[in-house]
Amino acid sequence: MSSGSQVDNLLVQRIREGDDGAWRELIARYEGRLLAFAESRLRRRASSEDIVQESFIGFLNSLPNYDGRRSLESYLFSICAYKLTDHLRREGRRPTIPLASSRETGGERQVEGAARGASSIARSGERRELEEKAIVESLGEQIARWKERGDWTKLMCVELLVVCGWANKEVAARLGISEQQVANFKFDFLARLKSILKRRDLNEDVFPELHVDDRRGGNA
Amino acid sequence: MSRPILDHQLEGYLDESLSADELTAIEGRLRADPALMDRLLAIIRRRDAGIHTLSEIWRRHRLSCPGREQLGSYLLGAMDDSDQAYVRFHIETVGCRYCMANLEDLREAARREEASRTVERRRRYFESSAGYLRRRPD
Repeated sequence: MSSGSQVDNLLVQRIREGDDGAWRELIARYEGRLLAFAESRLRRRASSEDIVQESFIGFLNSLPNYDGRRSLESYLFSICAYKLTDHLRREGRRPTIPLASSRETGGERQVEGAARGASSIARSGERRELEEKAIVESLGEQIARWKERGDWTKLMCVELLVVCGWANKEVAARLGISEQQVANFKFDFLARLKSILKRRDLNEDVFPELHVDDRRGGNA
Repeated sequence: MSRPILDHQLEGYLDESLSADELTAIEGRLRADPALMDRLLAIIRRRDAGIHTLSEIWRRHRLSCPGREQLGSYLLGAMDDSDQAYVRFHIETVGCRYCMANLEDLREAARREEASRTVERRRRYFESSAGYLRRRPD
């Protein structure tokens, strides 16, 4: 995807300079996938088109804050997801979230809304970014290596454990391997991540999954 | 009995990153189950406190998503069997909504291209043969 990123960065640069042609090109390049993303959820073409339109406007409004190191496609999808959840909430399809567990207060908050706690502000700065960057780099390298070597079982195993949260037993059954193998893959994967965080002097306590008691040979 | 909903799914629900069917199912369960709503709130509070999860980071940065070119090859069935199997797993088992959207977009583009090729082919057939049309004598 690296060549795509270079093309995207040039495109964004031209858009920042106010180039109409570049903006048309970005729309042509991304509208189809954004539309498919919105329509899969709404099942209505007209509303989905509105969401995509709002997403493009949202992108232009947020352009001064867009960090070119981030994938443009992922950035557009995140804006689209935000517009979509907002739309679903207004339509009453997405339940409103009561404030904390105090249903008795009758208070309501928006998911990912602006009213964040002080602790979030305290941890939302450079440290958090460093932790995330370390994880992204480390996982990215690991996944690329698995793909290069054709270690598909290992990749699928870790993806089911980490992304989907499946239990070892389910993963073993899905992939046709033993629970022992799943436990070993998990142990090696978590040990590697912990060591990377430690090397970079970062706090592993902020990743709850790294504290799962899953010694080699044991089952989660 | 329906399968219990995992915290990983609730995180995906907050980010709209699960398959549409999964999201709809979770919405229904959230309405009916206050305990599930409490778990969702706990995740929001945890996020507010700045605690990460690997799952969120992996999904947000789309660390294992195949590139668009690879998705195109997948559609054409032009990948190695093992690569093809991984992409199918990522889409069908993991349910990556971003890759599903890309795939649908590529399918739609292929349909449009085929439709425009069909129009062009028919035009060419017509133009190359219309001169042979014989009119019936009045």
